[in-house]
Amino acid sequence: MRTYILRRLLQIVPTVLGITFVVFLMMRSVPGDPVVALLGDAYTEENAAQARHTYGLDKPILVQYLIWLGKLVQGDWGTSILSGRPVLKDVMVRLPVTLELIVLSMGVALIIAVPAGIIGALRQNTWADYTATSVAMIGVSIPEFFAGVLLLLVFSLGLHGALPSSGWVYLPGTCPMMVCGVSFLGNLQHVLMPAIALGIGRAALLTRLLRASMLEVIRTEYVTTARAKGLGERPVVLKHALKNALIPTITVMGLQVGFLIGGAIVVETLFAMPGLGTFGIDAIIARDYQQVQGFALVTAFAFVVINLVVDLTYSFLDPRIRYA
Amino acid sequence: MSTLREVELRPVGELVLEPRTASRSEAPLEQALRRLWRNKTALVGAAIAGLLILVAIFADVLAPQNPIASDQTHTFERPSRDYPLGTDQLGRDMLSRIVHGSRISLAVGVSSVLFALFIGVPLGMIAGFYGGRVDTVVMRLMDLILAFPIYLLAIILMIIFTPTAGLIGTIKVVGAIAIVRIPIYARLVRGSVLSIKEKEYIEACRALGVRDPSVLLHHILPNCLAPIIVTTTLGIATSIIVEATLSFLGLGTQPPTPSWGWDLKANVAFIHENPWLSLFPGLAIFVTVLGFNLFGDGLRDALDPRLK
Repeated sequence: MRTYILRRLLQIVPTVLGITFVVFLMMRSVPGDPVVALLGDAYTEENAAQARHTYGLDKPILVQYLIWLGKLVQGDWGTSILSGRPVLKDVMVRLPVTLELIVLSMGVALIIAVPAGIIGALRQNTWADYTATSVAMIGVSIPEFFAGVLLLLVFSLGLHGALPSSGWVYLPGTCPMMVCGVSFLGNLQHVLMPAIALGIGRAALLTRLLRASMLEVIRTEYVTTARAKGLGERPVVLKHALKNALIPTITVMGLQVGFLIGGAIVVETLFAMPGLGTFGIDAIIARDYQQVQGFALVTAFAFVVINLVVDLTYSFLDPRIRYA
Repeated sequence: MSTLREVELRPVGELVLEPRTASRSEAPLEQALRRLWRNKTALVGAAIAGLLILVAIFADVLAPQNPIASDQTHTFERPSRDYPLGTDQLGRDMLSRIVHGSRISLAVGVSSVLFALFIGVPLGMIAGFYGGRVDTVVMRLMDLILAFPIYLLAIILMIIFTPTAGLIGTIKVVGAIAIVRIPIYARLVRGSVLSIKEKEYIEACRALGVRDPSVLLHHILPNCLAPIIVTTTLGIATSIIVEATLSFLGLGTQPPTPSWGWDLKANVAFIHENPWLSLFPGLAIFVTVLGFNLFGDGLRDALDPRLK
């Protein structure tokens, strides 16, 4: 098991390098020059050449990437061409917001999906099942931004501003700047709608998956055996069936990380949240190479690490799965 | 049961060739169609999708006004008889914009999936059939695309392509979404080909001297069709969402071309005073995606009832 984890951890390096290199190449092929935006009215050929030299943009692309990599190993993520701020600092300021959003949205998804999936499977072809599957079908068909708009209409407009429509308040002790709004309740009020908007689609998908795998598992012989030996319905479902039915669900949750990152960009844009998603999209649109690299690095790292965690969760859920 | 009764009630001596329910000799396709026909939710999905396709085709006739013509004297009109879905900040008729917006959503949804299918399916077939180095090269390339979070790749591709308006702008969005979806088909088909190529009838084909392209096209492809059809139908729904998301982020087809995602984003700013402006484009996206999802689910159940 230890060898397997070590091998997987080592595999993270080439994957992250591959993704960051491809992003590096792609961003360099984007039409437009960030130096033009940087200099604005002060743009002259001479100033542009000077700026390109300062930021190393006059070197071959591979050399630029190796320089970026060399600095990264030393903990230097580079400096934003446009804002002049260190990329690592910006990422660290924004990462907690997005992490909170993603973790809470997955929480929302699980709170809805686990009971709905179990009830759907245990009461197959009853009204409870039809309701669960119909609501799930509606859920998978709602894009995050429309779910967000509906929530805005209900909680921000309909209930006379019960929840704020934009902005952010940090959790106590997490304020990354000199001055920022800090309050536990305020944070909850600000994160609730975005987390539901992002989580609702995932909840629907997981409900469908969990229902299908529960249906398969509850028909297996070991579940019949568990019932035959007199176990109550609760331990049969929660201890024997659910644990095994969760395996495909966990896989899909891992695969959903890519969608969650995209969803975070959309939801953060809609609710004007100062997270990594808005940071990434702003950087990509502004062609701020260093910031985009920072965003790609975090995204790629999160992507591979979560997939590793998912793989390792299998052996916890099903002890028959052993990694050598 | 009804068929049994019908058969029994016939006069003795009358020739009974084919009872109307599924017989053992019924082709798998007929059985699938029969199952699909019985699935009411799938039919509702097909009806929604079909209706929207008709709306997109006849948008010029159905839209009461020009979707891009602004009228500063009628900005932010509430839904009324003249403007059934109101007007936006430029005085453009929302109903006309939504009717015309269906063209972008459906065109991008369908074309991007077909584009991905026509590249991904042959790649997956070749990789699975020939194996070895071809397989390694093709599948590592696909893995590289799959290693990216889907939206990150689509967003960067759109920045490279530079979003524009009109047909060219739409083609760019189709290209970006198709590239992201190619590996899905390549992986799906490769997996099917790997198992099918070991079957005895393929060995028989080869022994008879049937050439590889013919084996692939006439003997292997037909056996991979069921998952391809299901993935395509459900893929249209996903592509419509990705297109709307790109438009929402300002990276889809650019204005003045009507686009549901763009209209929703543009009108969120006025949500406090004019909530319907964001509501209607969102509802249009939702209903379209729901239609294709319902139909895709029904198709999957019909083509592979074990998955139900």
